[in-house]
Amino acid sequence: MGVIKKLPVYTEHIPGGALVTTSVNSVLTLAQAKSLWYLLFGTACCAIELMATGASRYDFDRLGMIFRASPRQADIMLVAGTITHKMAPRVKRIYDQMAQPRYVLAMGGCAIGGGPFYYDSYSVLKGVDKIIPVDVFVPGCPPRPEALLQGCLEVGKKIRTLKIDEWS
Amino acid sequence: MTKAELTAHITAGFTGRVQVLENNQPEPYFIVNPDDLVAFARYLHDDPALQMTFLMNLAGVDTGERFEVVYSVCSYQLKHRLLFKIQMPRDNAEFDTVMQVWPAANWYEREVWELFGMTVRNHPNLTRFLLADDWNEGFPMRKGWTGTDFIPLPDRG
Repeated sequence: MGVIKKLPVYTEHIPGGALVTTSVNSVLTLAQAKSLWYLLFGTACCAIELMATGASRYDFDRLGMIFRASPRQADIMLVAGTITHKMAPRVKRIYDQMAQPRYVLAMGGCAIGGGPFYYDSYSVLKGVDKIIPVDVFVPGCPPRPEALLQGCLEVGKKIRTLKIDEWS
Repeated sequence: MTKAELTAHITAGFTGRVQVLENNQPEPYFIVNPDDLVAFARYLHDDPALQMTFLMNLAGVDTGERFEVVYSVCSYQLKHRLLFKIQMPRDNAEFDTVMQVWPAANWYEREVWELFGMTVRNHPNLTRFLLADDWNEGFPMRKGWTGTDFIPLPDRG
């Protein structure tokens, strides 16, 4: 009953069970926040930390996060790594292929603002937020798995504040 | 062969057309004329005492005054290696492909062509390679290059 405790509820015990009243918005955002399927999308060393976070020691699965190899099935895109100018149109296209509602987490210095490739670089896009909207930035080079986990929890918190008629 | 033996063998075998560049590295370093490039590559590859069958690297260099292309070759059979380079004027840089000797030169030469703007004669496939598909800002590895999104490292001296 851990989930029900978190709902803004009025619980009435009736013979044979309990009746819960809540809002549709609350249930739907909770469901969304607790099952963020993420797109397997790593372009640099941050992908190694992403893999470590998904593996048994840190275990994304306990947040309901399962990797999806197709953008059609993914709710959140973890931009893990350097995005080059050559890659940028592909990132935009993958983002467009994701079903709404969709979220983006920019992981590491490169995805946030170019990172070590900010100066003297002709090939690196200086921040993935120049091409797609980003919900949460996780700094680090690369961030530790704990930081990535916290970033994903922040995405969940943000989803809980949304209204379903604002989903897009 | 050791560095001294390689140097002696090549200066004797490719007489008069190769210049030795003194260095403190374990490998000998030569400069050849761009016109002799293919002949020199063929000589390194075919000479039974050299057998340089592996092109390890091919790199373009912009010194600011001229363009250079540096070749690193080695022999798996005889376990020795060397470096050589060609030098060209900056405004008219052209050199021949060595693909008929080392097929591995294909992508290296394409990269040099794309990033430095040096012309590679007889290369079968000089097309867009590493840069973005819609790139139109010239040759980014040239000295003094700048682009719309380019931020040079500030002088923190």
